[in-house]
Amino acid sequence: MDTTAKLALLADAAKYDVACTSSGIDRDARMGALGNATAAGICHSFSADGRCITLLKVLFTNVCVFDCAYCASRCSNDVPRTSFRPRELADLTMEFYRRNYIEGLFLSSGVLKSPDYTTERIIECLRILREEYGFRGYIHAKAVPGTSSDLLAALGLLADRISVNMELPSSESLALLCPNKTRDSIVAPMRQIREGIAEDRDTRALMRRDACYMAQRRPARKTRAFAPAGQSTQMIIGATPETDFQILNLSSSLYKTMHMKRVFFSAYLSVNEDGRLPQGNAVQLDREHRLYQADWLMRFYKFDAAELIDEGQPFLATDIDPKANWAINHLDRFPIEVNTAPYEELLRVPGIGVRGAKAIVGARRATALGEAELRKLGVAYKRARFFITCRGRYQGHGTRFDKESLHAQLAAPIQAGSHGRRSGKVLAGQMSLFDGIG
Amino acid sequence: MDDLELAYVHDGSLEGLLTAVFLAFERKEYPSDVSASCRFMPRLGQRIVEVETNMERAWRVRAGIIRVCGMETYQCVVAASLSDEPDAGSSVLSFVRYAMKRGPRARFDKAAPDVERFAEIVRSVRNEHHYWVQFMRFSKTRDGVYVAVCNPKASVVPLLMGWFSARFNTQPFIVFDEVHHVAGVSHNGEWQLVRSPDFVVPPAAVDDAFYEQAWKTFYDSVAIDARYNPELRRSFMPKRLWKNIVELSDVSLGGPGIKEERRPLPKQRNGALKGSAAGGLLDQ
Repeated sequence: MDTTAKLALLADAAKYDVACTSSGIDRDARMGALGNATAAGICHSFSADGRCITLLKVLFTNVCVFDCAYCASRCSNDVPRTSFRPRELADLTMEFYRRNYIEGLFLSSGVLKSPDYTTERIIECLRILREEYGFRGYIHAKAVPGTSSDLLAALGLLADRISVNMELPSSESLALLCPNKTRDSIVAPMRQIREGIAEDRDTRALMRRDACYMAQRRPARKTRAFAPAGQSTQMIIGATPETDFQILNLSSSLYKTMHMKRVFFSAYLSVNEDGRLPQGNAVQLDREHRLYQADWLMRFYKFDAAELIDEGQPFLATDIDPKANWAINHLDRFPIEVNTAPYEELLRVPGIGVRGAKAIVGARRATALGEAELRKLGVAYKRARFFITCRGRYQGHGTRFDKESLHAQLAAPIQAGSHGRRSGKVLAGQMSLFDGIG
Repeated sequence: MDDLELAYVHDGSLEGLLTAVFLAFERKEYPSDVSASCRFMPRLGQRIVEVETNMERAWRVRAGIIRVCGMETYQCVVAASLSDEPDAGSSVLSFVRYAMKRGPRARFDKAAPDVERFAEIVRSVRNEHHYWVQFMRFSKTRDGVYVAVCNPKASVVPLLMGWFSARFNTQPFIVFDEVHHVAGVSHNGEWQLVRSPDFVVPPAAVDDAFYEQAWKTFYDSVAIDARYNPELRRSFMPKRLWKNIVELSDVSLGGPGIKEERRPLPKQRNGALKGSAAGGLLDQ
C-alpha cells in the first residue's frame, strides 16, 4: 500500500479522537533545527465539520488486538488494516511541517501484538523525528493502556503532551464495552505521567537554585523535559448511561488529582452494530456542547463543578447555557456595578467573558463605563445588561428581575449551522439511551 | 479639534508616519488626515503638507514612545502603521498624543475616543497577521527554495517574517505579498524585505505534488460526516483565504466540492495599493 492510501485509512481511523491541540508549551526556535512551539497553539486548517486541524492526526496502525465495542478498528471488525513504517511517518511529518500545513504530529495507535510492542514502534518514530531530524515542533502521543512504565518514561521524554484515553466515565461501562481495558490500566499510566511531570519540575527547580559557592555544574545541553505540555484525556459521551453530573465531577477530579490540562468530550457516533450500544443516527452534539461550556467555566471562570450541576438535576439544561443558568439561580448576587466590581465577579456575568472582563478592568481606570463604552469593549451587552449597573443605573429595564423572565430572555438554541446533522435539531432523547443497554 | 483644512501626506512607510507625528507635535498642528500618498484622497479645499521622511526624527519619535509608554505600545503603533485603513495614520497620531500623556496603560483605555479606533485597527492587523501564520502554504521549488504567495488585507509580511524565519531557519524561503508588492526573503534564519512589483513562482519540485496530494487526502479523511458544519468552518477560515489554501483551492475554484460551497468568489482586491512596508525600522 502506498503512503497516500495508508494516510487516508489511518487518518480516517484517527478522526474520532477529538483532541487536536498544539498548546501548552513555548519552545523557541533554535538555529539549525526545524520548528518551534507556542503555548497558545496554532490551528492550521479547519475540516468540513469545523473542527480545527493543528496536528497531523493519524494512527500508527489500525491493526488492533483489543475489541472495544464503540471502535471502528476493533479486532472483530472486517476492515482493511495497515501500518506506517516509523521513518515513513517521520518523513511525512517533516514535509508537511515545512509547508506550514501542521504544528506537529498527533500519534495514536491500535494495539499491534501487545501494548509494549506498539509503544516501541511509536517511540522509534518519535526518536527519528526528535533526534535524527532535530524536529522542534509539537508532538502529542497516546499512551496505550497496559504499556510498561519504562516505555512510558521514554515516550514522555520525546513527546510534548501524552494522553491516556479515559474513554468511558465509569468502570462498569468500561467492563461492559472494553473487555481488554480496566480502570487500573488507564489510571496507572495517568498517575505515572503526573508523577513524571512533577518530578521533572522539581529537578529543574533545584538545578536553577544557586545554593552553594561552588561553580554551578550544569549539563552543557538542556535535557528534554518530561511531557512539558502536560497530559489530557478523552471521554465518550452518550454511549453509556452516565449523567452530566457524573461526567463533570469526574473531569473536575481529574483536573485536581491528575493535573490534567484538558478533558475532552466526544459525542458518541454509532460506527458498529452492537447490542451493548445505543443504535441509530442520533448524535448528542448539543449535550457535548453544554459539557464543554461547563468545562470552560471550571477551567477559566473559577466555577466549581458543584455550582454548575447537582444530583437533583443531573443533566445540564439544553435550552440555556450553564453560566446563564447559574446566574438566574443566584439573583441575590446581582446586579453588580461594572465600574467597581472585582474581576472575579465580572467573570460571573453572562455575556462578559475573560476578554471582556479584562477589557473592562483595563478601561475603567480612565473612563466611567456606560452602555456605549461596554459595547465598544466587546461585551455581549444584550445578555449582560440584566445583571449589571452602569454608574449606578440598572441596565435591564423592561424585564422583571426574576428567574422566569430572565430565563426567557437568555434561553437561546445552540448555533449549529444550517447544513449538518444539527441543523434539524436531531436531539437524542436522553431516556432512549438506556434502551440499548438493558 | 481636528483641523479639517489640513492633511499630512507621507510616503507610506513606518518612518514616514513617525516623521508626520513628529511634525504635528513640532508645529502644534492637528491635521484631520495623516495618510500614505498612494492612498490619499484629498478633501475639498484641503491644505496638503507633504511630509518628507526623516530617519532621525522617526527614531526620536520611536524612542519617545518606548520611553514613555513601553515597547508593547510601540509594537501596537508598528502594527497600526501596516494597516490599509484610510484613517490608520490619523488614529496613530491621536493615539500617540493621548498615550504620551498617559503612559504605558493608555492602550488599555479602549473606551476613550482617542484609543478606540486605534485599538480596533491594531486588532484587525493582528488578526490578519494571525490568519497568515495559520494559513500560509509553502510549496517547494526545484532549487529547494520554499515559496508562499499571500494576499493579506494589511501589509503584514514584515510582522510574519520574524516568526517564519525562526521556525523555518533550515530552509530558504520567500513570502510574496501580491497586494502590497512586498516580498520577504529568508535564508539561514535571517530575513530581508524587498519591494517587488511582480513575482513569478518558479517550477515546483518533483515531489511537491505528491505531498500536496497527501495533504488533501488527509484533509478529506479527517472530517466526520455526522458533524458536517460548513458555517463553522467558514467562520474560522474565511472564504477569501481559500484560494491560497492548498486543501481548499480546488473547492474555491468550483472544482469537486460540496454543492453549498459553490459560490462566486469574493471580489478580489486588486494590487493598486502601494506597500507601506519595507522600511528601515521594520527590518530585522
